[in-house]
Amino acid sequence: MVDMPNPSSQEVSSRDVAAPPAKKRRNLPGMPDPGAEVIALSPKTLLATNRFVCEICSKGFQRDQNLQLHRRGHNLPWRLRQRDGNAEPPRKKVYVCPEPACVHHSPARALGDLTGIKKHFCRKHGEKKWKCERCAKKYAVQSDWKAHVRTCGTREYKCDCGMLFSRRDSFVTHRAFCDALAEESSRDHNNNSAQDEQKARSSEAAAASSPPPPPLTPSTTVVSPVLSLQRSDLPENAIELVPSAPASSSLAATITAAAAAAAAAAAAATAGLDNSTVTGGNTAFTGIFPASVAPLLQASPSSLSNVVCTAAPPSPSTAEPASLSLFLSSTASSLFSRPDQNTQHLYALPLPPAPAMSATALLQKAAQIGAAATSASLLRGLGLAISSPPAASSHEATLVTAGDGSNLWSSQGKVESSSEAAGLGLGLPSQSSLFGNRPMTVDFLRLGMGPAGGHTGGLSALLTSIDGGLSMDRRFSGGVPGVLYGGAGGRGRGDDIGRGSWEEFPESKPGGPKGPPHHL
Amino acid sequence: MAGMVHDEGSSSVTSSPLQMFSLMSLSPGIGSPYPLLREVSPEDRGLWLIRYLVGCANLVAAGSVEDANLYLEQISHLASPDGDAMQRIAAYFTEALADRILKGWPALHKALNSTKISLVSEEILVKRLFFELCPFLKLAYVITNQAILEAMEGEKMVHIIDLNSFEPAQWINLLQSLKARPEGPPHLRITGVNEQKEVLDQMAFRLTEEAEKLDIPFQFNPVVCKLENLDLESLRKTGEALAISSVLQLHTVLAADDETQRRTSPSASNSSNSSHRQRVLHMKQRTLGEWLQKEVVPLYCASPDSASASSPLSCNLSPKMGSFLTSLWGLSPKLMVITEQESNHNGATLMERYVDALYFYGSLFDCLESTVPRASVERQKVEKLLFGEEIKNIIASEGIQRKERHEKLEKWISRLELAGFGKVSLSYNGLLQAGMLLQSCGYDGYNLKEENGCFFLCWHDKPLFSVSAWRFKR
Repeated sequence: MVDMPNPSSQEVSSRDVAAPPAKKRRNLPGMPDPGAEVIALSPKTLLATNRFVCEICSKGFQRDQNLQLHRRGHNLPWRLRQRDGNAEPPRKKVYVCPEPACVHHSPARALGDLTGIKKHFCRKHGEKKWKCERCAKKYAVQSDWKAHVRTCGTREYKCDCGMLFSRRDSFVTHRAFCDALAEESSRDHNNNSAQDEQKARSSEAAAASSPPPPPLTPSTTVVSPVLSLQRSDLPENAIELVPSAPASSSLAATITAAAAAAAAAAAAATAGLDNSTVTGGNTAFTGIFPASVAPLLQASPSSLSNVVCTAAPPSPSTAEPASLSLFLSSTASSLFSRPDQNTQHLYALPLPPAPAMSATALLQKAAQIGAAATSASLLRGLGLAISSPPAASSHEATLVTAGDGSNLWSSQGKVESSSEAAGLGLGLPSQSSLFGNRPMTVDFLRLGMGPAGGHTGGLSALLTSIDGGLSMDRRFSGGVPGVLYGGAGGRGRGDDIGRGSWEEFPESKPGGPKGPPHHL
Repeated sequence: MAGMVHDEGSSSVTSSPLQMFSLMSLSPGIGSPYPLLREVSPEDRGLWLIRYLVGCANLVAAGSVEDANLYLEQISHLASPDGDAMQRIAAYFTEALADRILKGWPALHKALNSTKISLVSEEILVKRLFFELCPFLKLAYVITNQAILEAMEGEKMVHIIDLNSFEPAQWINLLQSLKARPEGPPHLRITGVNEQKEVLDQMAFRLTEEAEKLDIPFQFNPVVCKLENLDLESLRKTGEALAISSVLQLHTVLAADDETQRRTSPSASNSSNSSHRQRVLHMKQRTLGEWLQKEVVPLYCASPDSASASSPLSCNLSPKMGSFLTSLWGLSPKLMVITEQESNHNGATLMERYVDALYFYGSLFDCLESTVPRASVERQKVEKLLFGEEIKNIIASEGIQRKERHEKLEKWISRLELAGFGKVSLSYNGLLQAGMLLQSCGYDGYNLKEENGCFFLCWHDKPLFSVSAWRFKR
């Protein structure tokens, strides 16, 4: 609901009563008569069941009227029958709520009726002692409870998904977002029962009065499926991304269901009513769809566009080729025209065959691989063997063949090199499966190939060669050093020099591969 | 989604997934360094493209033009403006990168672009196509109009300022809704702002025609000027209820801020240009294979433009935007509805913007891919002339030239609150209207999300545009 300060009633002030009305006029609740006498009762007095006591027999009554009736039975002499003196006209009494934090505590918003203030006090500030059996709803005032019990369960609404509602507005709201309705959204818009049209009208009223936030998950949960993929054990990541699509499709379904239900409700409403009531009633909806809801029922886009839009000629300034005229038909200027039904049918283009095909999915996948590479290498690169011998060996082969002779790693022990090669090449086992072991060797990192390192051997030489070449700062932290020197770190443990330079390396210069110019 | 640079600067690890991916050595094997194109499945080709794109951007950011050239060569084998979504994205992103590189030689760049013919009619056409093909603009208009209707309930004189007036359909729809009001239509005045006179002329023509048909007292007031030069005081008129509508336009004002920031730190802009050239001069020629054997891709190096003054927080100190918003606030509008792209394309460094832009335009291209056939010329036009130009602006331009400074909603919220606006929750009705629009026009795969009273227009679950409403608050 648009949350706007209504300029006409900014402050809460008691209204001025104009000339004394001929008919006894009821003031609005909470806007008391300025000349009235304000009575402030304590909570004890307010809740006392028997405020009015007969002076003869001390019997207590809740109401003054009841006390008078009782007194009649005592056969009092007539003089005593009348109450003391006549205050003509008796001053009107208004009551304030004893609870200081309450709005009605101030005399400006006192309530005019004693019973009213009693009920208010119990309802707002009292304990709810009365409970409905059917729905467990609690009430503080007995009369409220009785009134509820009379209607509870007598009239029920049932959604197609099986949920029961006793309240019309919550039922309608639920239906708008119900998952089950998503499946039926393509079907009948023609629920021409009176109940539907009334629901539609009340739904708009309810929506206008209390718009409930749709049960949508906030955006953070969209991120979580992807984040959760950063597992150390890499499954077939191609398939893992797909579950995020169905999860989000349910989100999509809820919105489209909302639209469908609303369309159905609105369509039913206007179909069942006269044209006069269409304009008179649902301004919010029919304002946008003056008479287009009826065509909506028939699902004929041409009539929809004819009704809604003005038959404007295409833009006169450009001479458009024939193909464009399909798109920029006379419906060009309307918001609610379909994007040309004809061409859509002609080129009935299905959605991309596999989710991984879409650019977004590809980017997500790439990010996930990258992220997994970070985590995997962090977890394992430090000397832990990566369990995939075939991949490891193939990586080893990579390094051997791509080398220009200064293949440091191959000169090391074979057992270690396999694991390190895997770590160095960022060789995730899944990665080779990803690319299907194609004959592609594009080792961008070329980690082991410091030409300056040459055959001096040893880890330190490698590190210093790369170190020396590094001249650019990298804001990259965390993952990469671990990745790069995954194997190195492992080996460095046994080698003091190596370890030393390895440890200092990430701090002084979060080192890594250097740029091409520095390998000259 | 993972990989989005949400927290810039501080934890660069989170920005790394795509970077990491671009650095990973690819599958092992013996053979030529070039991927065998015939064998590559579209999915793998897409992943290759992403790798190349990010790698190339890194190089460009670092100024390593030679190596970037090699990457561009590789990408050119795989990318194509006629292919699938990823190929097209790659084509436009590489064009942007190439443009950026070329700006290292300003005179050369100017010479190449000097004879470009830009037709206003083409621009109008392309925007109209975007309006038709993707529902985002329609949804934004519907939501805006619904909010205006609700805010202007009972008002007799309504004045609307449209900060980027180019689509008559928006206001035609409003005119029709106003006509159907129970208390009758108000006296409506619309002020349309645009840089091109032709657009405003057409708007005036269409709208007055519509208003006459509906018998609504109407006045269209065209203002031909740049948004940041808009003189808001002249638009003020007493006695009317004011609504402001800004659809994908407010961010251009942010560009003016950069000019002032640049002026205060001249070294930054100078260094970016000169270092570009220096690195170029120091390059040696090399073949791809040789380079691949010897070289390593520089990771996210400190790019020259990161040396500029802007930090992630400086976006809040944008004086020009602040004063623009304050003057808007000074008109005491009853309602202001802002639709903006929901993506951070205003990062200080190229790489921040690049990765975000990849995701954002990836989704936009996916939208087109799923609704429009590949052979469609219109789709290509939208991709090239609308998205392509935006991408080029985001990636290749700097300073006051970079107009497409999209930012996420939370940044806009803080800016607007600073300027004295109070948030207005968009109503449930608006959401329903928008949903009905999607249904009735048969758009598939688009979603609406509501969060804290603001709407997000999403493609599947990626929010692409945000719509929020504001009011004058004392």
